[in-house]
Amino acid sequence: MNILNQFSVFFTQIGSILTSPGQLLLLFGCTFMGIIFGALPGLTATLGVALLTTLTYGMSLNVAMVALMAIYVGAVYGGSFSAITLNIPGTAASAATAMEGYPMAKKGLAGKALGLTTTASAIGTVFSILFVVVFIPLISELALQFTSVEYFLLAFFGIQISGSISCPDTVQKGWLAGFFGLFLAMVGTDSLQVYPRFTLGYYPLEGGIEVVPVLIGAFGIPQIIQVLKEQQAPPKATKLDKIIPSWKSIGKRLGHIVRSALIGVGIGSVPGIGEDIAAWVSYGTAKGTSKHPEEYGTGCEEGIIATEVANNACIGGAMIPLLSMGIPGSPPAAMLLGALLLHGVSPGPMLQIDRPGFITEVAAILLLASFAMWFCGIFLAPRVVKILQVPPALFMPVVGILCIIGSYALGLKIFNLYLMIPMGVITYYLVKYGFPVPPLVIGVILGKMADANLRRGLMVSEGSLKPFFTRPVALILIIVIFVTFITNTSMYQNFKARRKAKKA
Amino acid sequence: MKKILLALMMVSLTVGSIFAQAQQEYPSRDITDIVVWGAGGGTDSCNRIIMEEMGKVLDVNINVNNVTGGKAGMIGMTEAYNKPADGYTLCGLSESNTTAAVYGWDHTMDVWDFFIVGGSPDILSVTPDSPYQTLEDLVKASISNPNSIKAGAGGPGSIHHLNLLAFMEGSGAQLAFIPYDGSAGSQNAAMTGEITVVITSVAEQAEMIKAGKLRPLAMMTPDAYTLASTTIPSSFDMYPELSNFLPLGQQIGFAVRADVPEANKTILENAFSEAMQSDAVKAFGEQHYYNLSGKYGEEAKEIFKNLESKFSWTLSDLGSAEVDPATLGIARK
Repeated sequence: MNILNQFSVFFTQIGSILTSPGQLLLLFGCTFMGIIFGALPGLTATLGVALLTTLTYGMSLNVAMVALMAIYVGAVYGGSFSAITLNIPGTAASAATAMEGYPMAKKGLAGKALGLTTTASAIGTVFSILFVVVFIPLISELALQFTSVEYFLLAFFGIQISGSISCPDTVQKGWLAGFFGLFLAMVGTDSLQVYPRFTLGYYPLEGGIEVVPVLIGAFGIPQIIQVLKEQQAPPKATKLDKIIPSWKSIGKRLGHIVRSALIGVGIGSVPGIGEDIAAWVSYGTAKGTSKHPEEYGTGCEEGIIATEVANNACIGGAMIPLLSMGIPGSPPAAMLLGALLLHGVSPGPMLQIDRPGFITEVAAILLLASFAMWFCGIFLAPRVVKILQVPPALFMPVVGILCIIGSYALGLKIFNLYLMIPMGVITYYLVKYGFPVPPLVIGVILGKMADANLRRGLMVSEGSLKPFFTRPVALILIIVIFVTFITNTSMYQNFKARRKAKKA
Repeated sequence: MKKILLALMMVSLTVGSIFAQAQQEYPSRDITDIVVWGAGGGTDSCNRIIMEEMGKVLDVNINVNNVTGGKAGMIGMTEAYNKPADGYTLCGLSESNTTAAVYGWDHTMDVWDFFIVGGSPDILSVTPDSPYQTLEDLVKASISNPNSIKAGAGGPGSIHHLNLLAFMEGSGAQLAFIPYDGSAGSQNAAMTGEITVVITSVAEQAEMIKAGKLRPLAMMTPDAYTLASTTIPSSFDMYPELSNFLPLGQQIGFAVRADVPEANKTILENAFSEAMQSDAVKAFGEQHYYNLSGKYGEEAKEIFKNLESKFSWTLSDLGSAEVDPATLGIARK
């Protein structure tokens, strides 16, 4: 299909949705629902797409796609609401956003932060659409360079980078927290040899430590204890007129945005890893390349732009392997694959031949969904900010109940509560002694992937470490990991300080 | 006299209740189908199609609910099993549920009667740049250099893993099994060249075979299969021994409690047979590369009991069964 045809399909699709009130309502309704799903701790984008899939059974394919893409885009973005206002990320993807967003809210800039994340998310999604349409063949080729060895290194790098950038004092504490998370991920039946590890013969542990209760416990409980203990006064009322960021503030960060979007699309297109890693890697890169890294952690605008652009750009990225090879690029995309199959579409190399124009139609829906998300976000932001005006003593118990419901709702397992609450108490003390929470959670999320892929890689190479150095992508990752490690050691820091002193 | 009166009363009561039941013929209200796997998956879409058609035949609504979670779909099965045995609750399931008992479920597959819609047969393929043009090439190469050829077949203890184990036993091939999370993981690894051999279902491989990204060598079933005008031979033709171990196919369908009244079961069976003949089910089968089965009663039960034995003992051998299948009365087949 030539470019002209693609364009006509693209605009026909947009036109047909915009002119149909039913579809338009569905678009906005599902985006709105997605945002709610994203914002509530415990309800994730994956769950949102999964629940909606059942409801789309009676719809036509096109209408179903509108609903599903809208909830996906909304949910990935929605996590930033609770991350900024409460310091409790609604989804793992927005854990990095909390790093900068919450300090901004404390300064009374919650409105501005929400405006920025909304716009950044929309830009991220739009960017990723461009890539879906233009680079599908190219990127899916690159994603094929990822074998077990590369997955292991990528997961390891994800834990390392979140440990390196999120720590208030020494980087070692970040890495230790990451390793604690990695250890928690080892609990349960191992996926390669189905052997139960660290379960102490206790049956519910055999399923492993689930991410959502850990996420809620680790972020939610310490926050609730902290806020109630300190009796914090509500932050100053934010200036509501500044929700929509000025063109200038976006324009001067264009390079920054493009880089974050590229990271998001790239990571999204690698099968199996999703929005959470994209946000962290993008945040780390932004901090690493920034001229004033000391501002990070205190409410830096660049930081939230980096994370939100990247996690939404990941959506388009995740569509690339899904549509071109039938391999979901992220967990919600896996649910989307199920939905597509339900509607009789088999994504894969033949999709372009079986259903020419389908990818372009999806791109058009994504574009509309990102606009819908922007409108919903800008509409909701000033209302959500008001939550901050509620005295914490009244509001935090409600959050506590939401945390409990959120953990329980996942699989309706009471065991999740036994996991969530102690996890919260442990992390409260960890935070008190200066250990960062995000690497712990990232460790739990990526630990299984790191473990299974390292052992699988060694199984394939029959115990040889050679592939780590002979495969180009693996070698690059090893170098990046090594450099990250070196530049974070005190030896290197001292060396740099001495050179600076000499120069001066 | 009193005794006779009492007896008369008893008789009339029994007769009356039978009569009342006969008047209210099954099904007089909506039926619920509890699908133990997630929405959009194979078992779910298959159940939705067949229930739609059966609903038309029985002239009632059949509501399909997904109740997922627990090992081997235990949560959904428990919910369906705890409903009265009146035929108003069905349970949508697949071959993978047969591991429930060794994972600690309170019952074996004996408590169900099965209705099998079908399933996509397993197929062995190799990557297109590998030197193996026929199944014999592959088996010979693997014997002369044991465990050097890597094979993916879903996760450990999956239906595809069982097929790989059975294939190696029946053909003498010595492949190294590399476990992945599901079929998609295995196929993805074949795309990247990490593994050479893939055993998954035709449905899962079809797109890749059509695009020339996998080279199909043989079916794991007794019959040849035609996919996009290429005929894929049966592995049984080359290794007749395999008939002792295979086929171990995907079996998707639904079940009712075995203690549902026979009369209601018969009504369900007739509706099921009729629904299997409908165009919608046939089209679904074609589209999803299913071998449609339509088996029920003793025949279907036999298939599931065989699968239960194969799955349970394989898991037990792998060391991951929580309950010894021998104590459950599951014989090794």
